[in-house]
Amino acid sequence: MTTRRDFLKVTGGAVAGALVPRGASAAPKAMSVVRESSFIKPFDDYFSKTLLPEYEKLTGIKMSYEATSVGGMLTRLTTIAETKSGPEIAMTGLNQALLFDNSLVDVTDVANGIGKQLGGWHENVLEVVVSKGKWKALPWGNIGQLEVYRTDWFKEVGVTKFPETWEDLLAAGRLLKKKGHPFGFELGHGFGDNHGWLYPLFWSYGGREVDRDGKTVVIDSAETAKALDFCRKFYQETMFEDVLGWTDVNNNKAFFGEQISCTNNASSILVVGKRDFPEIAKVTDHALNPAGPKGRFHVMNAVSHALLTHAPDQAAAKAFLKWLYDDKQLSRWLTSADAYYAPFLHGYDDHPMWKPEPRYLPYKESLKTTRPHTWPGPQGPAASESVAKYVLVDMFAKACRGDATKDVIATAAAQLKQIYKAK
Amino acid sequence: MAVGPASIARPAPVAGRPATMRGLIEREGVFSWLMLAPGVLFLLAFVAYPFFYGIFLSLEDRRVASEGVFVGLANFRTLANDAVFWQVVRNTFMYVCVTTILKLAGGLAMALVINQQFRGRNLARAFLLLPFIVPTALSTVAWMWILDPTFSVVNWLLVHGGIISSGYSWLGNASLAMWSLIVVNTWRGTPFYGITLLAGLQTISPDLYEAAAIDGASTTQRFLWVTLPVIKPVLIIVTMFSVIFTFGDFQLIYALTHGGPANATHVFSTLAFDIGMSAGQLGMGAAVALSILPALAALIVVLTIYLRRE
Amino acid sequence: MVGGRDFFARLRRLYLPLAVFVVLGLFPFYWMLITSIKPNRELYSQKIMPLVVHQPTLKHYVDLLTETNFLTWTYNTMLVAVVTTVISVVLGTMIAYPLARLRFPGAAVVAIGVAATYLVPQPLLFIPMADIINRLELGNTLTAVMLTYPTLLIPFSAWLLMGYFKSVPRELEEAARIDGASRWQAMTRIVLPLCTPGLLSAGIFAFTLAQNEFLYALIFLAKSEVRTVPIGVVTELIRGDVFYWGQLMAGALLGSIPVAIIYSFFVDYYVAGLTAGAVKS
Repeated sequence: MTTRRDFLKVTGGAVAGALVPRGASAAPKAMSVVRESSFIKPFDDYFSKTLLPEYEKLTGIKMSYEATSVGGMLTRLTTIAETKSGPEIAMTGLNQALLFDNSLVDVTDVANGIGKQLGGWHENVLEVVVSKGKWKALPWGNIGQLEVYRTDWFKEVGVTKFPETWEDLLAAGRLLKKKGHPFGFELGHGFGDNHGWLYPLFWSYGGREVDRDGKTVVIDSAETAKALDFCRKFYQETMFEDVLGWTDVNNNKAFFGEQISCTNNASSILVVGKRDFPEIAKVTDHALNPAGPKGRFHVMNAVSHALLTHAPDQAAAKAFLKWLYDDKQLSRWLTSADAYYAPFLHGYDDHPMWKPEPRYLPYKESLKTTRPHTWPGPQGPAASESVAKYVLVDMFAKACRGDATKDVIATAAAQLKQIYKAK
Repeated sequence: MAVGPASIARPAPVAGRPATMRGLIEREGVFSWLMLAPGVLFLLAFVAYPFFYGIFLSLEDRRVASEGVFVGLANFRTLANDAVFWQVVRNTFMYVCVTTILKLAGGLAMALVINQQFRGRNLARAFLLLPFIVPTALSTVAWMWILDPTFSVVNWLLVHGGIISSGYSWLGNASLAMWSLIVVNTWRGTPFYGITLLAGLQTISPDLYEAAAIDGASTTQRFLWVTLPVIKPVLIIVTMFSVIFTFGDFQLIYALTHGGPANATHVFSTLAFDIGMSAGQLGMGAAVALSILPALAALIVVLTIYLRRE
Repeated sequence: MVGGRDFFARLRRLYLPLAVFVVLGLFPFYWMLITSIKPNRELYSQKIMPLVVHQPTLKHYVDLLTETNFLTWTYNTMLVAVVTTVISVVLGTMIAYPLARLRFPGAAVVAIGVAATYLVPQPLLFIPMADIINRLELGNTLTAVMLTYPTLLIPFSAWLLMGYFKSVPRELEEAARIDGASRWQAMTRIVLPLCTPGLLSAGIFAFTLAQNEFLYALIFLAKSEVRTVPIGVVTELIRGDVFYWGQLMAGALLGSIPVAIIYSFFVDYYVAGLTAGAVKS
C-alpha cells in the first residue's frame, strides 16, 4: 500500500526535484509559540511583551509569538502538523489535542508537575487532553459559554433572579418578547455561540448523539424529541427569526444594539461593554445555563498549549512550558486576561483574579458541569466531523424553522451513523 | 526537452542559415520550447504536483496528521449518498447560474449606458469599477455590516420608507440568505462585465449602425443584429472568466454565512474547507473539492471548441 | 434640437440608469466611509439616523495606524502584488507567444494543460502547496506568496495575451525576420511593443487578483509583520466574536485607495487589452 510519504518521495522527487530537502535541525537558539489571537488583547501583549522577554533573558533562547486569526487556528495547526514545520508550541482548543494526537509530544510529566503545584486538575478536562493515558496538551483555561442577560429588562417583567430551568427561562422570554426585548440565541453556522447553548439544552433533556463507545448512535430518542419540541417553542416564542442565520458576531452586536435581552456567549460581551458601552455594562450580568429534567450542563472549550513532535529540542520546549505554567508566571498571566479564562486547576479556585469582578464568577462555577462537544462520545475525529457538519445545530435549526421533529431526528441519525460507523 | 522533427518545423525564412547554435534556436520548435520551459516547469512544480497529490488524497481515508489508507472511490460513494453534498451541488449551481445571469444583464446594461456620450464619462467608468478592484475580504466586511440583522441600513431604509414594518433577516432566513449572497457577488462582479463589454461596444463602427438605421431597423433590432454579434466573443470570454471565479468563491460566503442557515448557502468550497480543515478529513475534503471538476471540465471543452473555431 | 423631449429621452436612457448604477455600486463605499468615522456609540445605536455621522471622529484611523501594522501590511501587499505581477506577465508572455504565433510539436497539450490549470480548485492545492513551501523553507516569508500567486495568474495572463498576440499581423514579424532579426528580436522589438496595451491589461488583472488573494496568504503569512492588507485587517481586527467595526472599515477604505489610484491611470489599457484578442475585425 502506498503511503503518503512514499507518494511525496516519488512525486516530489520527480516533479519538484529542484526543491531543497529540509535542512537538519539546529540547536534551539530560538523557539516559537502560535496561538489564536486572544479576545483579550492584554493577554497576548503580556505574553509577548513581558513573559517572553523574561524567558529570553533567563535562558538566552530567542522566543517568538505568532498570533493567528480567530477560527484560523485549526487551519494553521493542520498546516503545521502536515508539513512538520513551523512553531513547535501550538494552541489547541476543543478536541484538537486528540485530533492531532499523532503529532503531539507526551507532556504527562509537565502536567503532573503543574497539578502537584496547583492543587490538582479538574477531572473533566482530561477528556479532551489525555489520549491513551498520556497528556497531549496543557490547558491554561476554559472559555465558558454562559447566559448573558439584561438585568434591568428582566426586572421590568418581574424576574429578579435568572431562571433556574429552561421552562422558567421560556416563561420569562415570553414576557420579554412582548415588551420588545426578545432573546437572541445563535442557531446558525458560527463556531461557539450555537453549540454553546444547544449541547447543554440537548444534554439537559437527556439527549445524546452517540454512546461512550463511539459506535452506537443514540440520538433517536424520546429525550431528543423533547429537547427539540422545547427548543421550537423557545425559538418561536422568545426569539426573532434572525438567529437562524447568525454567526458568532451577531449576538454581540444585537446585545449592544439593545435589541436582545438574553443570549449565550463568553464573557466578551461584558468586557467590551465595560470598555465601550458603560451604561449597558452596568445592567449586564451572567448566569449558569438553565437546568433541564436531566441536569445542568455547559460546553467545554479548554484552551491549551501542545508540543509538536517536530520540535527540534523537545526538552527545551518542555522546560519552557514548565516555566510558563509555574504559579509565578501563570498567575500573573491569567490575571492580565481579566478572568476571561477559567483555569482547570483547583489551586486557582480562589485565585485573586476572581475578586475584582464578581460577575465573572459563574464562568468558574460552570467548570463543574462542563462537557466537551458530542459528549459522552469519544473526542476523536468523528466528533470533529459531527461538529464541523453542524449535525446538532442544523437539527435544532430545522426544527425551529418548522420541520417535523421526527424528520429532523431521522436526518441527524443518518448523518451520525455515517460519521461514526466506519470509524 | 521536446524537439520536433525538422519536417514539422517550418523552414527558416532566411536561406542558407548555418547549423550553428543560433540556427538551432531559430527553429520554430526549439525556440517555442525554450520560451515555454520556465513557465511550464513552474506550473508543473506548483500546480501539477499538488493537483495530482490532491487526486491521490481523494482516494484515501486520510485524517489529518496520520497515515492514509487507500480506499479507492469510497469517498466519492459516501458523498453520492450524502444529502448535504447534493444540497451543496444545488446551492453551487444556483449561486453560479443566477449570479452569472444577473452580472451579464447588469454588465450589459452598464456598458450600454456608459457607451453614450456625456461629461464625466471617464470618471464614472473609474468609479463604477471600484467594487471589482477592492479586495473581497474588505468589501465583504462592509457587507456584513450592511446586512447585519440588527443594524442593517437596508432594513432601516425599508422600515423608515414605510415599505415594510419590521426588518428582514437578510442572512438568517434560509431563502433570503442565498439571495443576499447573490446580490453581494453580483455587486462585486457586474463592473467587470460592464467595463469589458464597454470595450467591446466601442469597437463597433458607427457606420454599421447607420447602415442598419437606413435599413429601418428599430433600436431592439439594431441591438440584436449589430451589437450582439460583434460583442459576442467578449461576452463569452468574460462569462467564462467569471464563472470560473464564481465556482471557486470562498471568502465571500465563508465570511457572511459560513454556509448557514442550515446549509442553505453551503457551496463546494465551504464544504471542502469544513470537511478537510475543520473535521480534519483531508481525503474526503479533497474528494469534495475534486467533484467540482466535471463541471469545470465541461467549461474547458466549451472553451477549447470556441478557441478552435477562431 | 435641444427640446424637452430630448431631455426626457436622455434622462430615461442615460441619467436615471447611470444614477442607479452609481448609487448601488458606491453605496457600500459610502457606508465604509461613514462607519469608519462614527464613534462606537453611534455605530451600535438603532435610534440615531444611520445615514449621516453626527459626531465624526478620526479615532478609528488613529487606532488603525498606531495599534496595528497597517502601513507594513500595505507595503507588503504592494510589494507582493508588483513582484507577482512581473513574474506572471513575463512567464505568461513566454507561454502565450509560442502558443499564439508559432507552430511546434506539443502545442495542443500545452494549451490544454494551461487552460486546465486555472480550473484546479484552490482548496485542493493548499496542503501540498504548504508542503512545497515548507521544503523550500519559505514559511512566513513574502516569497512564499510571490511563488504561489503566479500559479493562479500565469494561466490567466497567458490566456489574455494569446488573444492579443494573435491580433498582430504575421507579416510584420516576417518582414523583420527577412531583415535578419532573430525570433527573439522579432518578438521583443516588433510584436511586444505593439502589444503594450495587452501586457498592461494582463498586468493589471494580475495585480488585482494578487492583492485580493486570501487563502494562500492566510496560510503562508502567519506573522503580523509579513501579512498583506486583507489578511492583516481581517485577522487582527476581528477578535473572537467581537469586530472592531470602525477600524475594519477604516482599513478597508485605506486598503482600497492604492488600487483605485492605479486603476484610474490604467483603466483604458486594461479595457483595451482585455478585449483586443476577442474583438477582431
